[in-house]
Amino acid sequence: MLPLGCSRRLVAELQDALDTCAERQRQLEQSLRVSRRLLRAWEPAETPTPEPTPGPETNEEAPSPACTPSPQDLKELELLTQALQKAVHVRKGISKAGERDNASSLKSGSIATSATTAAAPHRASQTKLPRGTRQATRPAKGLPKPRLLSAGDQTCAGRGPLAAKPGPGLRDPQKAPSAAPQAPEAFTLKEKGTLLQLPMAFRKAASQNSCLWAQLSSTQTSDSMDATTSSKTQFLQKMQVTSGWPSSRLSAAEVEAEVGRLQKACSLLRLRMEEELTRDPTDWMQEYRGLLTLEGLQAIVGQCLHRLRELQAEVVEQQLGPWPEERPPMASLPCGGGADPTWSPQLLLYSSTQELQTLAALRLRVDMLDQQIHLEKVLMAELLPLVSMQEPLGAPQLALCRAVHSLLCEGGQRFLTILRDEPAD
Amino acid sequence: MACNQFTGCCSLSPQKFPRAPPRASRPSRPPRPCTRAFPDTCGRCTDGAARVPPGWAPAQPAAWAAGAQSRGDFRVRGHRLRLRDGLSGEHAAAHPLSQAPALWRLLFRVLSLLRADRASASRAPEAQARWVKAALRAQGYPRLGLARLPEDGSQGSRELLLALAWLLAREPLPERLLAQTRVRLGDEMPVCECGALASPGQPAPRVDTAGPVDVRRLQWLMGKLRFRWRNLMASQQEQCALLGKIHAYTRGCHGDRSLGHLSVAETELLRDPEGGRQLLQRLESENARLEAALEWRRRELVFWQWMDTVLGACPPEASQPTFPPRLRGRGRRAGAWGPVAWELQALQEELQAAVGARRAAWAARVGGQGPEWSAARQAAQEAVGRELAALRQAWARGGGRAQPHRPHRLVRTEAGGPGGPGLRAAEVIGVLRSREACLEEMLCQLQEQCRQQLARLAGALPGLIWIPPPRR
Repeated sequence: MLPLGCSRRLVAELQDALDTCAERQRQLEQSLRVSRRLLRAWEPAETPTPEPTPGPETNEEAPSPACTPSPQDLKELELLTQALQKAVHVRKGISKAGERDNASSLKSGSIATSATTAAAPHRASQTKLPRGTRQATRPAKGLPKPRLLSAGDQTCAGRGPLAAKPGPGLRDPQKAPSAAPQAPEAFTLKEKGTLLQLPMAFRKAASQNSCLWAQLSSTQTSDSMDATTSSKTQFLQKMQVTSGWPSSRLSAAEVEAEVGRLQKACSLLRLRMEEELTRDPTDWMQEYRGLLTLEGLQAIVGQCLHRLRELQAEVVEQQLGPWPEERPPMASLPCGGGADPTWSPQLLLYSSTQELQTLAALRLRVDMLDQQIHLEKVLMAELLPLVSMQEPLGAPQLALCRAVHSLLCEGGQRFLTILRDEPAD
Repeated sequence: MACNQFTGCCSLSPQKFPRAPPRASRPSRPPRPCTRAFPDTCGRCTDGAARVPPGWAPAQPAAWAAGAQSRGDFRVRGHRLRLRDGLSGEHAAAHPLSQAPALWRLLFRVLSLLRADRASASRAPEAQARWVKAALRAQGYPRLGLARLPEDGSQGSRELLLALAWLLAREPLPERLLAQTRVRLGDEMPVCECGALASPGQPAPRVDTAGPVDVRRLQWLMGKLRFRWRNLMASQQEQCALLGKIHAYTRGCHGDRSLGHLSVAETELLRDPEGGRQLLQRLESENARLEAALEWRRRELVFWQWMDTVLGACPPEASQPTFPPRLRGRGRRAGAWGPVAWELQALQEELQAAVGARRAAWAARVGGQGPEWSAARQAAQEAVGRELAALRQAWARGGGRAQPHRPHRLVRTEAGGPGGPGLRAAEVIGVLRSREACLEEMLCQLQEQCRQQLARLAGALPGLIWIPPPRR
C-alpha cells in the first residue's frame, strides 16, 4: 500500500483527469445527438402559427407546425397521391399477392386534414403495414412549404429518403414500395438541404451582429482613442501614485504567468540539451560549440532557478497586509483571446471531411499528450521517492517496483519481468 | 442609482433625496456614458455614484458645470436612472440606499466572468465581498482603501467605483466580456495551444475519506483513462464526419457568401422553432449590448475625466504600515512551484555532469593551437550566444501572441479554391503535427529518465534479473 498522502494526491490527480475526459465526452455526445438528429428526416419548421399536433409522438422529432394548405395545393396533392398510389398498387401486384385494394383507404378527407404532420403517424403507418398494408392516413405532409423553394419536388426518389432514415428499420423491401407515396413528404438534409433558407429575422439579426462586431473592432484603432488611452494611462498612474501599495510588487497573476514561462523554458532547455548530447561532433569546432552551448544552457538554467527563488520570496512577502487570507482558486485562464486586435469571428477553412477529421484527431492527441505529460510528472514526483527509498527485497517491494516501472516508463501498458537469480546449486 | 444585482438592469429609485450641494455629474450633453455590457439582458448601467467627500461640491470640474441639477435624472434607452445626490461621507453609513452592495455585486460578477470561475452566485454578500477583495489583490490592485472596506456593504462606494475604473482602464473590458459570452452561430473549433485538458493547477480538493490505496488502483485508473481517451477519439471522428455531411448538404443556403453553408446551430434552428426563437432572442440581446458598448466607446472620455476628479478628491493613502508577518499557511504557493523547481534542479544537475565531462575531454584535446584558434573561438562564442538568445525569446513575454487564440468557425470550401480570409486547415494541421512531435519527444524523454533511474535501482539489488518488456 502506498502512504496516505501520496495515495490521496495521486488518486485526486487521476480522478481529475478522468473527470475532464468525461466532461468532454458528455459535450461531444450532446453535439452528436444534435447532428444525428439533423441528418435524419425532419420537418423544416415554420416559425409562426404553431398548431396542435394530433397523433402520438413516438420519437423525439418535434412536430412541426405548418401552415394550412390552400385548396389548390390540396387538390394537386390529392391528384399526385392518387397517381403514386396507382404506381404502388401496380408494383404490389407484382410482389405479394393478396393485397387489398387500398386506394380507397386514402380518402381525400384524410389528405384535406390540416397539414400538421409528425413523423409519428408516418412511422405508425409503417408498423401497420404487415397487417393490412393499409396506407395510414396520409396527411399532407409533402405540402409544398414556402421554405422549400421547389414546390414540384414531390417526385423525388421513393427509396432515397427512406433509406436514410433509421426508422423501425425492418421489412425494408416491403416497406419501400408502399411507402413511396410518403417519400415526397419526408425531408432529409441530404436530399433537400440546399433548399433551406434561414428566416429573415434571423438573417437580419446575424448580419447586424457581425456588422456591430466589425465596428467594435475598428473603434479600437481610431484616432479618438488616443485621447482616451492617454487619459486611461494617466488615471492608472495616478492611482498607483496615490495608493499605499508599492508598485514594484508583482501581482499573483503576474507571478503565475512568470512561473508558467519558466516551466516552458525548462522544457525547451531540456529539449535543446538532449539535442546537443545526442549529436556526435565530427570536428573540434563542433565539439567546442557543443561545449559552449551546454555551458550556456547551464547558465540559463541557473538564472531561471534564481528567478524562481526570487518569485517565491516575493510571494511570501506579499502575504502581509490587510488583504484577506482567502485566495480565490487559480482558475485556468479562459482562452478568451490574447491581445487580439479583432473581436469578430474568424474562419477556419477546410476542404474535406478527411481533413477535418485529421485536424480534430490531432487536436485531441495534443491535448491527450499534454495531460499524459502532466500525469507523468506528478507520478514521477510521488512514486520515484517511494521506490528508491526502501531497501528490502521482499516481494511486495518488488511488486511495487514493477508496477511503478510500468506506470512511469510504459504508460501503464506493458510490464517488465523480474526473475530471481537463484544460484544453481 | 440602484443597480439590480445580476441582471444589471437599472431600476427606479423613487425616493427623493435631500438637496445637497450639487454634485451633478450630469453634463448638458448626451447622457452619461454607459459602461459595460452584462451578459444579461440590460446593456445599460451607469457606474456607481461615488460618495462625495464633504467640501467637494463647489469645486466641480468645468465639464460638469453646465446645466447642473441636483438630481441627475435622465433617460437612457428607456431606463430611467437617477443619480444619487452627493451626500457627505458621514451620512453614508446611515443612508438606506447605499450603493456599495450593488457595486460589490457588480465587481463580483465581472471578476468571476473574467476568471471563468464557477464561483457560485449564491454566496452570501459578505463572502462575495471577500472574494472580490482577494481577486482584485491577485490582479495587483494597488489601493489599500478597498482592503479596509467593511464587507457588509454599508459604505465605500467610492473605493468600489475606483476599483471598477481600474479594471476598465487596464483592458477593454466590455469587448472582452462580450467576446467571452458571445452567441456562437457556427461550429467552432479552438485553434490555440492552450491545453484544454491538462489541469495546470492543483486538482480540486476532494472530500475523500479513502485511505491509502494500492498501486493497482492507480494502474486501474490509468487504464480507465486510456479507455476514455479511445472513446473520445472515436466520438470525435464521428462528430467530424457528421459535421462534414451537414456542411456539404447545406451548401449554398447561407446568405453570407463567405460562409456558404449552414452550421449545426443554424440548421437546428430551422428544425426546432422554439430553439430558433431563443437563439434569435439571444442574438438580439447581444446586438443591444454591442450597441451599448459602441456607445460607451464613443463617450468614454467623459467618464475618465470624471474619474480623474473622483481620484483627485480622495486623500492620498498612507504607505502601508508594516504588519507582523503571518507565518501560517505560507506553503500554499509552494505546491504549484514544486514541479518547476524540481525539474529545473534536475536539469541543472544533468547539465553540470555533461558540461564537466565535456570540459575534461576538451581540455585533454586542446593542445597548442595557433592564432587562428582564438579568432575561431570568438566566432563560435558569438554564434552560440546568438542561438541561445533566440532560444530565450521562445519563452519570453509575448512569444506566442501572434498565434490565433479564439475558436474559429468551421467553413467547408472546395478544395483548390482560392478561399476567402481565414485560416486554412492545412496550416493548422502542420502546426499541430509539429507540436505533437514535440510533446511526444518530451514524453519519451521523461519515460527514459524514469527508466534510467529505475535501472540504477535495479543495479543496486543483486540477485535479480530485470527483463524489460519488448520495445515496440
